[in-house]
Amino acid sequence: MRELKLQHLYALFLLLSLGLLAGLAGYAHHNLELVTRQARADEDHAAREEMKLAVQMLDQRLQEIIQRIAAWDETRQHLLDPEYYPLWRDVRVRDTGALPATMRIALYRRDGRIVAPDPDAALPANLAMPETGGMSLRWEAAQPWLYVRFPILLHPDAEVVLGHGLIKLQPLAEIRTLGAYRYADIDNLQLSQPNGTMHHIADLIEHLQVRTQPNPVLTSALEEVSRLTIFAVVLALALALLLFYALRRLLVLPIRQLSKEINALREKAEAQSPAALNTRHHLWELKQLQEAIGDYHRRLLRLHREVEHSSRQFYRQARQDALTGAYNRRAFDEDRVRLERDKRVDECTLILFDCDHFKAINDTYGHPTGDTVIRALAGCLTRALRADDRLYRLGGDEFATLMPDCNIDTAMAVAERCLEQVHRHDFGQYGITEPVTISIGLAHGSAPLDLSVQHKQADLAMYTAKRPGHPKLAVYEDSLGSLSSLVDNREVSAVYEAIRQPDLLEFRYQHIVRFPDLRPEYAEALCRIRYDGQIIGPGAIFAIVQNRRLDVEFDLAVISAIRRDLEADLPALRQGVSINLSAPGVVNDKVIQSLLDLKAAHPERKIVVEITETALITQMTVATANIERLRRAGCLMALDDFGSGYSSLRYLASMPVDMVKFDMSLVRLLEQEDLRQRLVVEDIAQMVATAGYDLVAEGIETETLLARVVDVGFSHGQGFHLDRLLEH
Amino acid sequence: MCRGLFRLALITLVALAPIAGWAALVTLDLQPGLTARADYLPGAKNKPAVLILHGFLQTHNFHTVRNLAEGLASAGYSVLTPTLTLGVTHRGQSLACEAIHTHTHEGNAREIDAWLAWLQQHGHHRIVLVGHSMGSAELLLYLAARKPKSAVQFIALSLVETRADIDAESLERLRRRTQQKLARGERDVVRHPLSYCRNFSAVPKTFASYLSISPDRLLAAMRHLPTPATFIMGGSDERLGAGWIERLKRTGNKVIVIPNASHFLDGEHEFELIDTVLAVIKSAS
Repeated sequence: MRELKLQHLYALFLLLSLGLLAGLAGYAHHNLELVTRQARADEDHAAREEMKLAVQMLDQRLQEIIQRIAAWDETRQHLLDPEYYPLWRDVRVRDTGALPATMRIALYRRDGRIVAPDPDAALPANLAMPETGGMSLRWEAAQPWLYVRFPILLHPDAEVVLGHGLIKLQPLAEIRTLGAYRYADIDNLQLSQPNGTMHHIADLIEHLQVRTQPNPVLTSALEEVSRLTIFAVVLALALALLLFYALRRLLVLPIRQLSKEINALREKAEAQSPAALNTRHHLWELKQLQEAIGDYHRRLLRLHREVEHSSRQFYRQARQDALTGAYNRRAFDEDRVRLERDKRVDECTLILFDCDHFKAINDTYGHPTGDTVIRALAGCLTRALRADDRLYRLGGDEFATLMPDCNIDTAMAVAERCLEQVHRHDFGQYGITEPVTISIGLAHGSAPLDLSVQHKQADLAMYTAKRPGHPKLAVYEDSLGSLSSLVDNREVSAVYEAIRQPDLLEFRYQHIVRFPDLRPEYAEALCRIRYDGQIIGPGAIFAIVQNRRLDVEFDLAVISAIRRDLEADLPALRQGVSINLSAPGVVNDKVIQSLLDLKAAHPERKIVVEITETALITQMTVATANIERLRRAGCLMALDDFGSGYSSLRYLASMPVDMVKFDMSLVRLLEQEDLRQRLVVEDIAQMVATAGYDLVAEGIETETLLARVVDVGFSHGQGFHLDRLLEH
Repeated sequence: MCRGLFRLALITLVALAPIAGWAALVTLDLQPGLTARADYLPGAKNKPAVLILHGFLQTHNFHTVRNLAEGLASAGYSVLTPTLTLGVTHRGQSLACEAIHTHTHEGNAREIDAWLAWLQQHGHHRIVLVGHSMGSAELLLYLAARKPKSAVQFIALSLVETRADIDAESLERLRRRTQQKLARGERDVVRHPLSYCRNFSAVPKTFASYLSISPDRLLAAMRHLPTPATFIMGGSDERLGAGWIERLKRTGNKVIVIPNASHFLDGEHEFELIDTVLAVIKSAS
């Protein structure tokens, strides 16, 4: 249904009201007409009744006159003695009031002759004898005259007729003189009766044409009613127009204005304030409505602001890391997509930050301390970043930032500032004695941006930075493509498949030889995966394993594969085997149990478990207990890659290991010209040897280095050079 | 005592008279076209009949006449109360002063004579004549002139001098002028005061007839009455001239004055009138 406008509704109401008013007026007019007609009919009837009464009165009066004259002695006197009849007729009759002046009389003898001629012959000289009626009507000079004949008796008690009397009168004139008439218009009284005899004067009634005189009261009342009706109609119209004007002025226009203001508020809800509802209304209800709308709008605005604030809070919370206050992974993904779509961005640098050995810190000092370290790192990074740079916490100890329209040099400067901030921060205040460092990987890209790829590249760079002996800040270069396994789906699949099927694992067994006789004592299993006809090297494998947190699963797969080779009784494994165990594997019961089972299966062979110092830092207690379990079972424990990390001597002193394997980066220092470096390495080696540990030098690839190692006092060594010697 | 009982009986009879319907309307044709009417109340044969004549222009229905007639009838007297026709046959109404009068005193005397004859024809040979006012004058002059044998007694009630209400000079002048008109044979109707009428319309003959009745003529007539005459007068009759009753008394006739009675002797004096008349009649018989 189409909506009605108020003024249209009012117009409809007005039309209906006017129609009803007209109907009522018509009904009233109809009723008034009926009443008027009835009143006029009543008046007509009353006029007729007046005429009847007047005729009766005339009849009665005439009868009285006749009776008086007929019984009057003087009438008989002059009927019988006509000498003074004219005097009687003209004087006595008048003086005594026996006959009104309007009537004329004549006396006739018994034979019908007039007693004396009428002076102007107004009355006939002879009565037509006999006559059938006592009276007759005659029209003379256009006027009706009534002749009434009556007998004159000898005396009232006798029936002897002496003569007759004849009275002539104008009935209409007589009727007019009979009195005042209320209804009959006596001045216009007409008689339609023709000449002729009449039996009774009442016969006149049928021929009287009487009009009803105008009723001044009724006429005045009708005029007053008409005047009042016209006044009422005019007043109603005027009131309707006035009401229409008032309705339009007080209601319609204000409502429209209010509607416009509400629309304006709706369209510019945020920009407009309730002050926009400033039209002054004269109607209390509208004013109330305006105030209510204003109040409602204010509340709505406040609610809107609250919702907006809440939304922003939710938005921010949804994109903010609760622990650090940095943006979270969702925000990173959204910004990444937004930047990729932003055509104005020509280049972008993605920086990944990762805390080194955070898991060990977390496990060693507990999660609250770990969280504190994370918050501190976030603070350091935020302070180091530029004002507009956003810091994202992607998860755990991994942070990132996106630097659009930022070249690699600027990005590196920022990254170095981050390293500096972290380095300067006093983590000792949190009870942490070990240094807390971060590794940073940068990847720079140009439009069209593919930040997903940049993210993988930065990941590779960061992995590089994490590697022992590498700067903590690394920029992705194409040369890092070998690490692309981290992002190569085929290699990731190979790792997963190898975990599932350890048979895919192949080992190159590198002999660990004893000095100085270079007698091989056991072989270190260097892992690789043969997948789809290709060999995937340990660099790619361990990058994926560490990146995907597959350490334990991969350790179990390796132990299973080595057991396969031991059972196959490979020549390289006749003396024993050295197995690299990841840090998580050291504290994992399954892994430990697998190693114990392996030792139990091959008690005659030397089983050496290589762990890194990170493994010892992580959950030191559990790790120490597990190491002790392995040693009690006959396994030997070797600390691998010594010198590649922060190589805490305090740890070394407390580590329950049987041998220490110097990282090749440390061993190679023995070949350097720098004497001081050589001396440091020599002193460390001698200090470790003095502590009772067997020393294993890794990466012996030259004869010179072999000589230096032996000179320094290493008890064991390994490397390509030694392998070649053994082969020969 | 006896007088009181008689009055009580009389009152009763008068009261019952109309109911009894004693009165009989009788007519008397005086001449062709002129008939007189009278009420006749028959009474005891051994008592004289009483003829009561009304006053000027009145009829026998005048209350003084009527009441007296009924009183006498109740006492056993035959009573005849004629109405003078005054020229109007079957006259039953008083004639207005302004009516056209053509009658005469002499004509009235003839009618009185005719009625006396009527009474005699109906066995009444002893008749007491009673007149009231002008009727008394009419009877007085009639008795003095005719001296009828049947008349045994005359009782005049409130006898007037029949004078006009004008001074003597004007009256004399009017009398002369009327005689002149009469001598010239004029018959025009003229108006002059006569008796109690201020505008008496009459032909000269009538005027001349009635103007001929003067107090002196009446007093003279009294000396020639053939019967005893008694004059009963009202003590407060304002229609009488000064000293008229005294003049009557000086005539030697019996004059009875009813104290405080008016000219019509009516009202509370009505019964006293009847008693007086009865007493007069009885005294004469």
